Amino acid sequence: MNRRKFLTILGRAGVGSALGSSKGAEASPACFPYYPDSWGVLHDTTRCIGCRRCEAACQKVNNLPEPKVPFTDLSVTEKKRHTTAYEWTVVNKYEVNGKPYFRKLQCFHCNDPACASACFARCFSKLPNGAVVYDGSQCVGCRYCMVACPFYVPGFQYDLAWDPLVQKCTFCEPRLKEGKLPGCVEACPVDAITFGRRSDLIKIARARMAENPGRYVDYLYGEYDAGGTAWMVLAPAAGGAPVPVDDPQGAGTEFKQLGLDTHLGSQPMGQLTYGALGAVPMIVAFWPVLFGGAWAMTKRREAMAKLEQEKIIKDAKDDLAAAVDAAVRKIGETEGEGAAERARQAMTEALKAREAQNSGDGHGEEK
Amino acid sequence: MRNGTTLFLLAVTLLAFAACPPAPGAAPAALEPTDSGAPSAIVIFPVGAKANPKAAAMQPVTFNHVVHEKWMERTGKDCIVCHHTGDAVACTTCHTQEGKLEGAHITLYDAMHATKIAPRTDTKPASCVSCHSQQITQRDCAGCHTTLVRNARNEAWCTVCHTVTRSMTAEDMQQGIAGTLPERRNEQLATETELSRKMVTYWKATKAPQKVVIDSLAGKYEPCVFNHKSHVLSLMGRITENKLASAFHTEPATLCVTCHHNSPASATPPKCASCHSPTIDPATPQRPALMAAFHLQCMSCHKDMKVARPRNTDCTTCHKLRAPERAANQAN
Ligand code: SF4
Ligand code: SF4
Ligand code: SF4
Repeated sequence: MNRRKFLTILGRAGVGSALGSSKGAEASPACFPYYPDSWGVLHDTTRCIGCRRCEAACQKVNNLPEPKVPFTDLSVTEKKRHTTAYEWTVVNKYEVNGKPYFRKLQCFHCNDPACASACFARCFSKLPNGAVVYDGSQCVGCRYCMVACPFYVPGFQYDLAWDPLVQKCTFCEPRLKEGKLPGCVEACPVDAITFGRRSDLIKIARARMAENPGRYVDYLYGEYDAGGTAWMVLAPAAGGAPVPVDDPQGAGTEFKQLGLDTHLGSQPMGQLTYGALGAVPMIVAFWPVLFGGAWAMTKRREAMAKLEQEKIIKDAKDDLAAAVDAAVRKIGETEGEGAAERARQAMTEALKAREAQNSGDGHGEEK
Repeated sequence: MRNGTTLFLLAVTLLAFAACPPAPGAAPAALEPTDSGAPSAIVIFPVGAKANPKAAAMQPVTFNHVVHEKWMERTGKDCIVCHHTGDAVACTTCHTQEGKLEGAHITLYDAMHATKIAPRTDTKPASCVSCHSQQITQRDCAGCHTTLVRNARNEAWCTVCHTVTRSMTAEDMQQGIAGTLPERRNEQLATETELSRKMVTYWKATKAPQKVVIDSLAGKYEPCVFNHKSHVLSLMGRITENKLASAFHTEPATLCVTCHHNSPASATPPKCASCHSPTIDPATPQRPALMAAFHLQCMSCHKDMKVARPRNTDCTTCHKLRAPERAANQAN
């Protein structure tokens, strides 16, 4: 991470504008327009056979590096692998009501992408075709997008010392433009990932539930979760098992067993964050910082050497402290000591809250 | 297993009847007798106050007691599954069109058709429909009936059970409804109906192709040689003797249309590729692409029938890798 660059941007865009207009004009939006004709993909976990063809296709069409373990080795699905900068999709095995099922993970291409809301350099955009794409030219490497993503999707090129970028599934946006299907969709031998208009897919999902009584949980993951996602998931039903009482949405435990959190709420993630931190208006400009700090202290990171991890955490903690100091100084200069003190207090509290939430069950992808 | 004093008494009474020599010139054929001595078949009339002069609304049901008794014997079940009170009395004793106090006001319709039966402290009774709809979960049926064929209750099915011989007169019907039809007449009507039932003759696999080469997608893999005949024979072999199956599989092509679906039953069905395009068409995303269409059918049936081999991810059991791919794989 380039701390100076980061702080410069923060100082210039964040604090300046937050105080100037008291609205955080430069902050990314929490809500995005909804595109009714956008594309989506329906992942039917009752069909997926865990063959990893989609992974292989993704690697091929996106010219990603060859994996260490060949795609023909299916044993890796037993581990709860995560997406990385070089593996934009992974298929893992889950036990649902005692039977093995597979679920493919990639970017969900949220309707209101939290990654985009968190990015003050505005690297992410939600395109009218449904894809959430990333343009690294402005990326400062702060990795807030990774923290903000409820599914822990974006990966970081930790191996690159020079200008590492965030990488994630692009919905094969270049292929979509050419009128081709996403690589993974085209490769799936059982149509476990169905491509279509998001609005059509919702109807198809409902039709599958209606036509196959007892086969599916009566809940379409991603229809509303995290504000709605372009990639949605169907889960196998337990066959008449009662829905637990603590499950207001009636999704049952099957999604949890599939490693998906049904308690992300139906509001855009970005909006929630704004809401919580918006209590103190000037904090709005700093909430990415808080995210960053919280991220560093959460030990739920993808596989990293322990040393490296510790170093990164320490770096991030330093960054955080420095950022808070810088912010408080700035506020002090423009708004007076009282405001600065209030800001520091609010930030510390928000940070604690975030940390507590993270150590609980704050993320969609459960470990 | 199948006992109970009442049943025994019933048996004795009926045996007395059976001992009488049949009248000369009477209908020659008869159904096999039951072990319990109950009539081999009976017509279940919609007993109640409502008139149904010519069975215009719905024909009564002809129930084959022997077949059901044998099934009980085979599967180790007890009479009490249906005769849930423990008394071997007719269903209509307590369950009538309107419902009676003795039958907890459960109407005849519900007693015969209910699928969601509340748990009891004593034996949980089965209705005709609840038990029959369970049968499709057995392994022999599961291949088609778990995923591929959707079992929505269908009006055309009513007449499978609701059927009785044409010799039934309006008077018989009235007496049946009033509960005054003599037992022998009832049995006579039922026997006649049962003897006139025909088992469906499925199309023979010999007419169909022996092997089908699926090569429309062959690229990385060699074409798949699908042994059509052995698949048909194996599926058919499991159900030809199954009376319940043939009662509902009313067409000789019923078995064929599980795979050759969504088109009229025909000995020359359209090719899968007529509807399933090689890549999914975003205009009809609900229709699987060709490769998926094959795999979904093959795999779901194998899974539901618990065919252990091949594993879903073991591609080369069904289609061999092409030589260059094989070489590349070995080099890895
Ligand atoms: S899944 Fe994560 S990375 Fe993908 S759009 Fe949503 S928030 Fe962004
Ligand atoms: S849509 Fe494209 S980038 Fe995303 S997982 Fe599929 S193949 Fe990979
Ligand atoms: S290619 Fe399809 S079936 Fe195979 S693992 Fe991916 S989603 Fe599942």
